[in-house]
Amino acid sequence: MIEIQLTVNGKDYTVNIEEDKRLLDVLREDLGFTGVKEGCSEGECGACTVIMDGKTVNSCMVMGFQANGSNIVTIEGLEKDGQLHPIQQAFIDIGAVQCGYCTPGMILSAKALLDKNPNPTKEEIREGISGNLCRCTGYSKIVKAVEKARGYEDES
Amino acid sequence: MKRIGRGIGLSFYGTGYGNGFPDVSRAKVRLLKDGNVGIYVGGTEVGQGARTIFYQIGSETLKLSSDNISFITEDTSLMPDSGTAAASRQTYNTGNAIKIACENFMDRLREVAKRELKLNSTQGLKVNNGKIYLEFFPRKVISFKELAQKQKGNVIEAEGEFVAQTVEMDSETGQGAPYWPYTFNACGVELEVDVLTGKVEILKTRFAQDVGRAINPHLIEGQMDGGFAMALGYVLFEDLNINEGRIKNQKFSKYLIPTAMDMIDLENVIVEDPESTAPFGAKGVGEPVMIPIAPAILNAIYDAVGVRITELPATPEKLIEAIEDSKEGRVVKHG
Ligand code: FES
Ligand code: FES
Repeated sequence: MIEIQLTVNGKDYTVNIEEDKRLLDVLREDLGFTGVKEGCSEGECGACTVIMDGKTVNSCMVMGFQANGSNIVTIEGLEKDGQLHPIQQAFIDIGAVQCGYCTPGMILSAKALLDKNPNPTKEEIREGISGNLCRCTGYSKIVKAVEKARGYEDES
Repeated sequence: MKRIGRGIGLSFYGTGYGNGFPDVSRAKVRLLKDGNVGIYVGGTEVGQGARTIFYQIGSETLKLSSDNISFITEDTSLMPDSGTAAASRQTYNTGNAIKIACENFMDRLREVAKRELKLNSTQGLKVNNGKIYLEFFPRKVISFKELAQKQKGNVIEAEGEFVAQTVEMDSETGQGAPYWPYTFNACGVELEVDVLTGKVEILKTRFAQDVGRAINPHLIEGQMDGGFAMALGYVLFEDLNINEGRIKNQKFSKYLIPTAMDMIDLENVIVEDPESTAPFGAKGVGEPVMIPIAPAILNAIYDAVGVRITELPATPEKLIEAIEDSKEGRVVKHG
């Protein structure tokens, strides 16, 4: 067992974990952030996407100890004072969610993109979410939702 | 060198179990203690939007805001069976069951209201917006809430059942009417084939789907987009590669499905022609939206480079081989 410290959605945590535990499992099992989904377990689908120190990572491919000292954002961290994040709201307004399994990862990839590039073109949006697989929507409404959320003012 | 081609695909598809097989959906509607209405139905939401459609059908039939309706689904101890969320049958089949159950429930409400309002008959009693009243003398009125409070232990509820009409095919002649209703669609695709690499790029599409009546156009678009993407993967990339009973491409790094980069903006056309046996005219579209895409793409490839691919997926390797063979004038079946 090793002890790691990390910040998740603005709150500090200290957890004792097994050396071979993945960040995905630390977030889901030790800390209860079940909005992080497990799809392929091999870095191909993006369902487990979280934002780690400003960059998206596949949390199934990061070991828990590698997250020591890092700052992580999961889908649970986007809502503020009962208000959905503009990207979340846009996904609902446009109807970009079907089964919902890809949605947390999609929204976090979209956030990481918009944080870096507030006014991406359609092609840049398609590229920005290309690491996240969706079997239901054909991506059309997801791209539209990110376009709608484009240029939001993030007060954080 | 790149060649451009165009192709179309058309299909018709029978929804429901079909071929005379019993296809039954049931629903139950109950006045809840707080005056709201509970609809109990076994139809399962898996992201296709069944729940939204059920709310719409219930709300429209009961003339009641969906805020005053609770859907209680997916718990077999609480509700009657509505069959599987399969065969593109929930909108048509379970939608019909909900509509019938709501109509029966309104009849029950009129009977109870007749008693409570001390009327001679249920004639002229209207159910609207959570109230039951006499149309030509609206002071004779009772709300769902008042009715619920007065019932004390007596539950006001009704059931509805819809049994689809299909006829088994004659096994000798293959003739018959195995499905009802059918839904129709057409897809046109323009694409580019790189004759050196065998890569296919979709440039433009136009995809029209008959839906009976579009009671939720957003959800239909979502099904059409998703159906196109799934079919695109099926035609161009997805290959389980089964070898001696084992799936070789058992991961996403080998079994490729389309990403956002493989898709383009689709031009979807929703065609409305209400179906007389359907709830508010609406038919299911879950499966049919995938069917015309493969022939449209393969026809466009033929138009572009003059080769017929007869086994899927039409991978770059297969395409190049087919193009080479056609140059040499060999007639080979490509599969
Ligand atoms: S579960 Fe991590 S990328 Fe699929
Ligand atoms: S909504 Fe089902 S996988 Fe994206």
